[in-house]
Amino acid sequence: MTDRELNRRVFLSRSAAAAAGAAALTTMPAWVGPASAEASPTKRPPNVPDVDVRPAAKADPTEATVAEAITLLRRRRLTAVDLVEAHLDRITKFDSAYQAFNAVTADSARAQARTADRSSGGVLNGIPLCIKDNYYTAGVTTTANSFIFASFVPPYDATSVARLKAAGGIVIGKGQMGPLATTRATTPNGTITTVNAWTPGTPSIDPGGSSTGPACSVAGRMATSSIGTQTGGSIVNPSNQQNLTGLKPTMGRTSIYGVIPLSYTRDHSGPLARDALDAAIMMTIMAGPDRNDPRILGLPDVPDLITAAVPVRRRGTVVLRRPTTIGVPPDYLTGVSAAVVALRSGFLDTLDGIPGATVVHVGYPGDWSLMTGTFNNVRLSERTEPFLPFLKQDPKLFGVSLLSWLQGLFLSGDEWITGQRAKNHLLREVLDGVMSSCDVLLQTGPVPFDILGLPELGFPIGFAAIGAEPKVPSGTILGGRPYEEDRLLEVVAAYQAVTSWHTQRPADPVLPAAGARRAAAPDAEPLRLTPEQAAALSA
Amino acid sequence: MAVDPAALTTDQLNTFITSRLVLSGIDLSLLPTAPDPTTGAPTQAQVLSSLRSFVLSNPVAINAWRPRPPADTVDATVLSQELSPPLEYPSITEAWTGEATGR
Repeated sequence: MTDRELNRRVFLSRSAAAAAGAAALTTMPAWVGPASAEASPTKRPPNVPDVDVRPAAKADPTEATVAEAITLLRRRRLTAVDLVEAHLDRITKFDSAYQAFNAVTADSARAQARTADRSSGGVLNGIPLCIKDNYYTAGVTTTANSFIFASFVPPYDATSVARLKAAGGIVIGKGQMGPLATTRATTPNGTITTVNAWTPGTPSIDPGGSSTGPACSVAGRMATSSIGTQTGGSIVNPSNQQNLTGLKPTMGRTSIYGVIPLSYTRDHSGPLARDALDAAIMMTIMAGPDRNDPRILGLPDVPDLITAAVPVRRRGTVVLRRPTTIGVPPDYLTGVSAAVVALRSGFLDTLDGIPGATVVHVGYPGDWSLMTGTFNNVRLSERTEPFLPFLKQDPKLFGVSLLSWLQGLFLSGDEWITGQRAKNHLLREVLDGVMSSCDVLLQTGPVPFDILGLPELGFPIGFAAIGAEPKVPSGTILGGRPYEEDRLLEVVAAYQAVTSWHTQRPADPVLPAAGARRAAAPDAEPLRLTPEQAAALSA
Repeated sequence: MAVDPAALTTDQLNTFITSRLVLSGIDLSLLPTAPDPTTGAPTQAQVLSSLRSFVLSNPVAINAWRPRPPADTVDATVLSQELSPPLEYPSITEAWTGEATGR
């Protein structure tokens, strides 16, 4: 690195800090700052190969993956209008049960679909997408399920949204979320909204948070794909809970410009998709430098994620694209139900049977629980700082989520710095220790790699019964080295080529008869989180 | 340890917490004294209880940790200053320092 390059980074970092300080003083909804997001990074459009389209997707376009829909649209076996209308029809029928959307942009989606059918457009031309409600969407209310943003209409699109739209993607609606991206989706006062699409009659079953609505919209076939954000598991957890494939990239791979902040050093944006290839397509469009997010400048080029997500076959046998050693941590087969242990064991056996894959057991350092447990709370100061004006105005604006915003005031500056030291310490423990004998590492929770900004890919490995619900998705998380999302996609693409969990979709919810209340437990009070639960569960 | 955080009384902690909130410009009295289903916001008592628990557990655990030189190092506390310099963005730094391959 030259001195000039280094100085440029220092300058950009300081400029960003100054801009962040100014923004914190801005009263909603007035806006000062860059006029628009960077929609088109200087890169070639991604090349998405045609894929074999499953009969289910030919029969019903809401069954299709992004890659299948692209293939059908290219072959003129499907129109964008029909694709969008099919999803809008399901939203009309079923979202009263799912409660996945905060807003449905039906009119603009229909108009864009008509335009898409008259143009060649970008790679996502005509594909309906759900956008988590903490991404700025120009002219469309962006609430983050918070009293604070209840009437906020952004003046521009977040960079990720702008890029997806520039690629032809159609925003079909805004997905529900935990208030300010903390827990599973609730109203600001803690009343549970979005359900798990696999268990709509049992709202108590975790649908994963905080990108709950985006996950439910895709699982419930109300959008072909979606994007969410992750600070403490909010992409991979709902993906695991709802049978999806979610990619939380390396910090800096995608811009978070135009995303309502939770913890600035840990907020990641990425897709919640139907399989590894869809996640790769979405990530390829989202990723890359953005002049509005200086942290992500000067980083390694985005690898060919789409090729990485296409499974490789040799003489008809699925093999890993590159020999890859998969690390299994010591708690992978403990601390979960017997049913999940069985699923994880079966998953490891399947993975070990793929030529090119080697499964090894690895250990944690002695201070693992301290570094990834208590030190996780160092992030709390980051959520307090940008929201201090609203805390001063009226702490009730934070509703059920208030406590963790106040906790951030009770870590001193020196303790925050110690937390940043600990990040460096943990990084070396992971990269030079835990991962010294493996290329990728299975995770038993998303937090360690959220702290470090390392990439994670959540994906389905089967189903287990929970209570009276016979079929609840179970997933797992694979973590990688910095900027090696391609390695994660290679492994999961091979696994998904020899399994079919990811192709399964939930049954439609049973709707209440006319005049009745909810289908399940009609006399029950709606479930609510308490402030203490919201703080404990917070991303 | 010359001082013991566990010896702090509830009144002392409440005084600390309310003072810190005031210093940040936050008015605890704006919160309800009884559960408020409309906003879901915690009561004043819930806030104090939660924050007492937080301040007794988190700062102590965090500020007690230091990077450790090898066990037999002389002047370990001094040398710990040189270890694990703070990184806000560890993965990004890994790329900036050339450690990430980024093929």
